[in-house]
Amino acid sequence: MSTISVKSITKNFGTQCAVDHVSFDVYPGEIFGLLGPNGAGKTTSIRIVLDIFEPDSGEVTVFDGPMTEAKKNRIGYLPEERGLYQDIPLEYCLQYLASLKGMDKEVSHKRIDAYLERFDLNQARKKKVKELSKGMQQKAQLISTLVHEPELIIIDEPFTALDPVNTQMVKDILKEQRSKGKTIVMCTHQMHQVEQLCDRLVLINQGKSVLYGSLNEIRKNFTGNVVEVRTHETLPENIPGVTAIRHTNQNGDYMLTVEEGITPQKLLKTLINLDIQLEQFEIASPTLDEIFIKIVTKRDEGNE
Amino acid sequence: MNKTFLVFKNELLTTIKRRSFILTLILIPLGGFILTWIIGGFGRNTQSQQISELLVPSSPPEQEVYGLIDKNNLIDSIPQDYEDVVLPYDSEAEALSALKEDKITAYYIIEENYIEDGKITLVRPDFNPLGGNNASYMIEDILTRALLSDDPDLANRIQFPMDLEYRILAPETSRDPNSSLTFFLPYVVTMLFYMVILGSSSLMLNSITNEKSNRIIEILMTSIQPRQMLMGKIIALGLVGLLQTIVWTSSGYFLLLLSGRSINLGEGFMLPPSILIWGILFFLAGYALYGSLMAGLGALVPNLREASQATIFVVIPMVIPLVLLSPIIENPNGALAIIFSLVPFTAPITMMTRLSAGSVPIWQSLLSLVLIFTTTYFVIRSVAGFFKATNLLSGSAFNLKRFVRAFIGKN
Repeated sequence: MSTISVKSITKNFGTQCAVDHVSFDVYPGEIFGLLGPNGAGKTTSIRIVLDIFEPDSGEVTVFDGPMTEAKKNRIGYLPEERGLYQDIPLEYCLQYLASLKGMDKEVSHKRIDAYLERFDLNQARKKKVKELSKGMQQKAQLISTLVHEPELIIIDEPFTALDPVNTQMVKDILKEQRSKGKTIVMCTHQMHQVEQLCDRLVLINQGKSVLYGSLNEIRKNFTGNVVEVRTHETLPENIPGVTAIRHTNQNGDYMLTVEEGITPQKLLKTLINLDIQLEQFEIASPTLDEIFIKIVTKRDEGNE
Repeated sequence: MNKTFLVFKNELLTTIKRRSFILTLILIPLGGFILTWIIGGFGRNTQSQQISELLVPSSPPEQEVYGLIDKNNLIDSIPQDYEDVVLPYDSEAEALSALKEDKITAYYIIEENYIEDGKITLVRPDFNPLGGNNASYMIEDILTRALLSDDPDLANRIQFPMDLEYRILAPETSRDPNSSLTFFLPYVVTMLFYMVILGSSSLMLNSITNEKSNRIIEILMTSIQPRQMLMGKIIALGLVGLLQTIVWTSSGYFLLLLSGRSINLGEGFMLPPSILIWGILFFLAGYALYGSLMAGLGALVPNLREASQATIFVVIPMVIPLVLLSPIIENPNGALAIIFSLVPFTAPITMMTRLSAGSVPIWQSLLSLVLIFTTTYFVIRSVAGFFKATNLLSGSAFNLKRFVRAFIGKN
């Protein structure tokens, strides 16, 4: 049973089609990446999932049914446009937002105390939100997303404008939440961040879903006939089964393009037989950025 | 779970704890108290005229003396009360000489054929059409007394033909209709009402645009239904406005009591007790109507700056009774006053003006309230229809066409 099931949703704003027949499923306990460049339709898709926008067509189920007010209390959402009430004390602001998520006052007090301590915001609890630094406000927003212990966490562009320390903190928290069995949807255009965290993903471009599946499967499907090799020796100009050798840097890294029909195992045997001292032998897998560029370029060529 | 109460509680607490709100709530009555205290200190035993004397100190008035030449010998002697200001002269030459020597300001000549044609000539050195006829009432009085010297009672009756005494059948009028303050009071009530309704409904606009500019609205959309949010805000800010109205009105009432003792304003400034109840009802009705309109406006404007510009479209109907204030006060039961006090958008202020200017048939006040609340119901329904994420998260600039379309359900 999926936590979120999106079936062929479409949303138009005037003449502009923001989301065009997008479908995906998110399963319990996974980090799911909703990826795509800026303006691809990620945030609109998320807003449709959260029942903020109604789709023009298509269907969304959350926790095995349509969205209800009660279900919204089981979701933690950190929107791309971060915001908090600016003119009230931080602690009061967090308590009010927690109460809107149906939290009991005493429980929310305890949890907020614990989070403020953990995020090093204890000293700032009585300060007005507008008096806090940007980093502190981002931490506070994360607290308001997590304080009611949601089963489903949806975070839109989680790493935008974060320094490396806070980026790592968010990553650690997301991993921690996954280990607790929470379902996480991470919506971002920073694909390299997704590679370290996501189990599965959907890639959206110009409102359309262009790639969907587990990260490993996708990589496997897009893995070409290139092998990365590192050795301190100089490679011979001709290696059986290799059509091209490229010296990528001065550290002994080479990219070998393998003939069709030659498996990496066969090539490895050949290199050992040639008595080459190998430090590294790896099937080159493309990054998500490379895969995305490849897909988009192919589509554009197809459209021409 | 209905979260209206949570929004209500938060709006109420955050608004009344705001420093600017507390200052406005306290400083306005405090300013009044200080002013009253100063005025009271200046003249405990004096009349209200001393307020104007305090503001515009006057120099002792210069006594103007007039000459009178009676060519018909109608006047035996100048009455005692005018002896110092009207001097008789036997000839025009004497009067002219006195005028040149600045002994008199001007002189009147009762011409020879006065009995036939009533002709009297005023001779003065300068052209002063507005203020130059100041002494004529004295000459009239002197002549009336002289002509009817045989019948002083008749002379007196001609001078004061009507000693009017009011007997008002309306049960609650305790004001003195002769007092100039009776005329002044509806202006005060109207302006106060305009301020509190506009102030309270603007709180609504500020609240929504603040949430938009703080970018918290998207989080709220995933936590609470827009309608619950709207209702929570309307009720809370209505109570805040009511609190403000009660504090200001009570302070004003207390201030009047204090003023009554210190500067003796008299009954002209008294209001019947029922006007306070009507005041609360019309405030609630007016606030509910304009607060909902402001909420709709808040949903459609991207920020506070544009909100202030757009407010003018909503405030125009509220300003109409202010523009027509004089005719409404002069004739509080005239057609104009009745029409504007029944049209829901102008009714809250117009009805309060009427109630403070005179007696209003109770059925008209009740009908007015019913019409305002009915309109408010439809406005809230309409606003709730477009108080949704598509509009709340939109950054589109405000335009009147979009506002009207949204209200008629075409957004």
